[in-house]
Amino acid sequence: MNEYQLIKDVNYEYDADIGLAYSSPCRGIWNIVHIGTQVPGCHQIYVCPTSCLRGVVLTTAEMHAMDRLSTITVGEDNILEGNMEETLHDGVATIIKKLPERPKMIMIFISCIHHFLAANYQRVYRILRKEYPDIDFVDAYMDPIMRRKTPVVPSLTRQIYRVLQPANHFAKQVNYIGNWFSTEDYSDLTKHLQTNGIDIRDLSLETDYNHFKQMQNSSLNITFHKYASFAGKDLEIRLRQKWIKVHMGFDYTVFAEDMNHICEFLKIPTISQKEIEKRINACESSLKELKKIIGNVPISLDYTAVDEPLNLAYYLLKHDFNVESIFIEVFTEEEKVFNDLRALKPDLKIYSTDNWNMRAMNREHEEKVLAIGQKAAYYNDTNNFVDIIWSAGMYGYLGILHLCDLMKDAYLHEKDMKNLVQQKGWRCYAK
Amino acid sequence: MSDWHTHVFTSTYAADVSGVCSVLYELGGMTVLHDPSGCNSTYTTHDEPRWYDTKSLMFVTGLDEMAAVMGDDSIVIKDVVKAAADLKPCFITLCGASIPHIIGFDYRGVARIIEEKTKIPVLPVSTDGLKSYISGVGLASREWICRFADTEISIRAHSLNLLGVTPIDFTDQAHVEELKKSVTPEGYTVNACFAMGDSFEKEIGIYAGAVNVVPTSAGRIPARFMQSTRNIPYVEGVPIGSYMSEKIQKAIQNSEVDGKNRKAYDKLDMDGNVLVIGEEIYACSMATAVNHTAYAEKNNLKATPFWPDVNEGLNEDELIQRINSAKIVIGDPLFHSIIHNKFTYMVDLPHEGYSGRIYHKNVPFFASSNFDIEERLRERK
Repeated sequence: MNEYQLIKDVNYEYDADIGLAYSSPCRGIWNIVHIGTQVPGCHQIYVCPTSCLRGVVLTTAEMHAMDRLSTITVGEDNILEGNMEETLHDGVATIIKKLPERPKMIMIFISCIHHFLAANYQRVYRILRKEYPDIDFVDAYMDPIMRRKTPVVPSLTRQIYRVLQPANHFAKQVNYIGNWFSTEDYSDLTKHLQTNGIDIRDLSLETDYNHFKQMQNSSLNITFHKYASFAGKDLEIRLRQKWIKVHMGFDYTVFAEDMNHICEFLKIPTISQKEIEKRINACESSLKELKKIIGNVPISLDYTAVDEPLNLAYYLLKHDFNVESIFIEVFTEEEKVFNDLRALKPDLKIYSTDNWNMRAMNREHEEKVLAIGQKAAYYNDTNNFVDIIWSAGMYGYLGILHLCDLMKDAYLHEKDMKNLVQQKGWRCYAK
Repeated sequence: MSDWHTHVFTSTYAADVSGVCSVLYELGGMTVLHDPSGCNSTYTTHDEPRWYDTKSLMFVTGLDEMAAVMGDDSIVIKDVVKAAADLKPCFITLCGASIPHIIGFDYRGVARIIEEKTKIPVLPVSTDGLKSYISGVGLASREWICRFADTEISIRAHSLNLLGVTPIDFTDQAHVEELKKSVTPEGYTVNACFAMGDSFEKEIGIYAGAVNVVPTSAGRIPARFMQSTRNIPYVEGVPIGSYMSEKIQKAIQNSEVDGKNRKAYDKLDMDGNVLVIGEEIYACSMATAVNHTAYAEKNNLKATPFWPDVNEGLNEDELIQRINSAKIVIGDPLFHSIIHNKFTYMVDLPHEGYSGRIYHKNVPFFASSNFDIEERLRERK
C-alpha cells in the first residue's frame, strides 16, 4: 500500500480514522507541558497512571524545569477503592505544603481515567479554592480519549486564560491569544499596532504573573492559530472581549482585510494601500530571488511548520516552485483551497503523517529535497529543511519575507536533522 | 502521612507498556498498544533509543471515547488486521494502558479473533499502564516463550540464557555484549539473550539453556515460568565489577549441578550509609560490589539497596529521608534535586528506566567485570 495518495484521488472529507497510528521521532511540536510552562509562576500537577506520567515528567526534566511540575500517580487502589477525589485533594495539599515557594497558579491535569471513573474533580477544586484563596486553580486535561470533542492543545489553550476575570476594558490594549512565539520581528500586524500606540499583551512575552492577568483588561482578543479558537470564543463569552480571528494563509488580500478589520475596531489608521503594495512587491521580489537560487528543487512541507500547509503549497506553486508533497494529519483549510490546489497540481502527493504505513516508508530520495517542517524533513531524510513549528511568530507580508529567507538558508546550508527533530518542544523555555 | 502517590520533586519509572514494546522490539513482530495516545510517543521518545535508526513495528490504536464507552472492539480488530496484512509481521503483540484495563478489555479474546483473521500468531499481554516496566518486560517475555519456544529441544550442558534484557536497563548492544562476557564462566556459552541482539529463530531455542541468568527483576517472570515448565534453575545478579562477575559465574556452575536457584548478591542490611537506588537486582548487586571493595572497608562504608515497587514506584518521602541520611548515594542524576544537605555525595549512574534518554550517552558499562565502582567512590570529594 502506498504511503501517499495523489491529491486528485483524495476527497476533501478526509478520513481521520487512520487506523493504527505511528509515532515518528519528530518532537518539535509543543505538548501540554511546554504550553503550561509559559505562564509565569504557574505550577503544573499531573494526576495520571504511570504510563501517562512518564512522558510529561521527562519532558519537564529535559527542560530542566522539574521545579515547575509535580505528580499524583493513579494506582490500582484508586480504581478499587474509589478514592480518586481524596487522593487528588490530599496530593495537591501535600505538594503546596512542600514546594519551596507558594505558586500563584496551579494547573491540575486530570487524565482519561478520571472521566471513566466519574471522579468528581470539580468538587475537589472548589474545596481547594476555599482552602487556598491566594492560589488560582485551573482545571486542565490530559485526556486524549476525549480528543474528538476537546482536543488536548485547544483545551489547554482555553484553560490557561480561565484565570482571567471580567474587568474594565482598555481601548488601546489587545491580547494575542494562543501565541507561543514572539511576533515582534516578522509580523506586519504587530509592527503596525505598536506604531499606533497599542499595548499588545502576548503570553509568549509575559514574565510576571500579575502582568499576565492584566490581559483581562484588553478590549480585543486576536487569535492566529486554529487551536486558539476555543480560547477566543470562551473569552468572548466570559469576559465580553471582542474576538477577531486572523487567517494564517498566504493571500495578500486577506492579510490586508484582516488587519483593516482590527484597525477599524481599534479606531486606528489602517496600513495605507501604497504601503501594502510596497510590501507585496517586496514579497514578489523575494520569491523571484529565491526561485533563482533553489530552481526546481522538490519542496516538501508539513502541517507542523505552518498553520495552513495547503495554502502555502498553493502559494509556492503559483510562484513556479516545485512543491512535491505535503504531510498532514487532516485538512484544516476550507474546501475551496483544497479544490484550487487539486486543480493546480493534481499529482501533488498527500501523506497521512501518522498512518501506520509511514513506519515502512522508504525515506530515501535521489535528489536534493527542500523541506519545510520537521516531519517533512524526517520523512524525506533531508538535512535541508526549515526548522520551525506553528508558523514561528511569522505573519503577513513580513512573515512571507522571513519564510523566503529561511527557505534560502535551508537550501544553502544543511542542518543536523536527526538531532534537531528529536528535541522536544522547539525553542521552548520554561518561565 | 506518607503517600506513595504524590511526587513533588521526582520522576517516575518507565511503565509496563514500554517494557512490553522494548523486550519484543528486535524479534520481528508488531506491537500494538491499545491506548488513546501518548503512551506510544513516550515510549518512542524516552524509553526506546533504537527508534530512530530501526524500523521495528510499534503502533497505538488511538482508542477514543465512543469506542471505549460502547466497548467496540471491532475497531481495533479491523485496524490491526489491515496493518498486519500490509506489514506482514511474524507475530503480533497486543498490550494496553489504563482505559482498556478499567473497561475490561478482553486481550485474550481479541487476540484470538485477530489471529483467526490474519493467521498470524497474536500474543495478548494484559498490561494496565499502572505498573513499571519490570512487569511489562516479564509478562511479554513469558507470553512469547510460552507461545514460540521449542520445549522439546535438548538442554545443552554449560550454556546459559539471559532474561529480561532491554535497553531500559542496559542501554545498548555494546553494553549487553559486556554483560554476556562478564556472566559467562569459562567453558560456557550464551544460548540466548532475551531479547537484545538475537533473532526470533535463536530465541526459539531458549529452552536449550542449562541455566537462566536474571540480571534484572524484569527477567524473574520468564525465569520462574521456565523453571516451572522445564525445571531450569536461575541465578540473579548483575556482574558489576570482578567480584560480582566471579560470584555469578560460580553460582551458574553450581546451579547447573544442583538445579537450585541462587542470588549471586549478598543478603544486605538496610541500614547502610551508602544508598544504591535502582532496579532491585541491580541495586542489590551494586551494593554487594561496593561492600566488597577495599575502599568501603577502609572508610567504614556499608551499602544498602533501595528499589522501586513495581506498583507504587518509589515513595518520595522515604526516598528523601533515605537520601539525606546517606553519606553516598549511587543513583540516577535526577535525584540530585532532592539532596538537601552538604554531606551527602552523589555518584551518578544514570538509569534509562528512570531518566529516559537524558543521560543516555553517560551510562557506563556497569554490567561488566571491568567496571570499577571503587574508582567512582574515590572520586568523591
